[in-house]
Amino acid sequence: MSDTLRIVLIVASVLCLLYMLRKISQSKVRIDDAIFWIVGSFVLVIISIFPQIPSWCCDLLGIQTPVNFLFLFMIFILLVKLFYMTIRVSQLESKVKELSQRYALDHMDEKEEETDET
Amino acid sequence: MKLLIIIPAYNERENIERVVDNLIQNYPQFSYVVVNDGSKDDTAAICRKRGYNLIDLPVNLGLAGGFQAGMLYAEKHGFDYAIQYDADGQHRAEFIEPMLNECEKGFDIVIGSRFVSKKKPLSMRMLGSRMLSAAIRLTTFRKIKDPTSGMRVYNRRMIRLFAHHTNLSPEPDSVAYMIKSGAKVSEVQVEMDERIAGVSYLNIPRSMFYMLRMVISILFIQVFRSPVRLKDIRPEEKG
Repeated sequence: MSDTLRIVLIVASVLCLLYMLRKISQSKVRIDDAIFWIVGSFVLVIISIFPQIPSWCCDLLGIQTPVNFLFLFMIFILLVKLFYMTIRVSQLESKVKELSQRYALDHMDEKEEETDET
Repeated sequence: MKLLIIIPAYNERENIERVVDNLIQNYPQFSYVVVNDGSKDDTAAICRKRGYNLIDLPVNLGLAGGFQAGMLYAEKHGFDYAIQYDADGQHRAEFIEPMLNECEKGFDIVIGSRFVSKKKPLSMRMLGSRMLSAAIRLTTFRKIKDPTSGMRVYNRRMIRLFAHHTNLSPEPDSVAYMIKSGAKVSEVQVEMDERIAGVSYLNIPRSMFYMLRMVISILFIQVFRSPVRLKDIRPEEKG
């Protein structure tokens, strides 16, 4: 791994970490959701400080350069995360749907009661 | 002195009647509210049939969301104290009074702890508890002997804070964050029962993930969060 890549990785992961921590302290992100990014940027920092880790993984898997291994690794992690996010969005949508249906039906009852009284 | 017992319930049809009836019959001096967290069984129907005081959430929000609904209720109705009380019968009502008395001495959070005067057993189940105690001790220099106990009394300014904050859930990491913000936390010895009916939400992988989440949160997130300015919290006047 080249020194430039290492420096870019370290700077990027540290910035990512600081940004996440700031957003959490502003209560914009739930801690549960932030943990993925914090662990992720820690892993990035560790990889950039110890490039032996991706090199070792490369030898193990028969991949030519550590950069290729990093791409593969990152794309895989992001795919899993994306899939997880898709599930979350689906669940959120059905919750919003359920909530608005429930709200509308409950208010219908109220109106019926009002008309009954008059 | 007004105490609200918040009872979050998710699929507790086998336990809810026993738990709430005990409170109504033996502890009529306390108010209570059941928060049905979008249960898939007939927990809500049972509560309605028995005429319990019920907040019925239409969708499942998880323990944090359900508990927060209870805190919003406590704030709206001007309660001075709120206690989280399990619907599965693990918490014992006779310990509410001593916890409340402790809280009235001026504490913000009082934890119903299993290990104040008793020793923590050396079991796998308690390994997680030890890890959390160590993490809290490392970051706040305070010894919390039973961080995973769900039985906690909160005073008025905590009610106000927990009712509106996104990242304050009734979990050990919030306790750590509150200590760091200068809240006074105390522990009172209690005993807890094993769950009598139904299944626990926590299985082994889930509890391992929970511990990992809590430890990361306490060690890496709560440390960097700017403390809440507790002195600025003015409880709203009643009415």
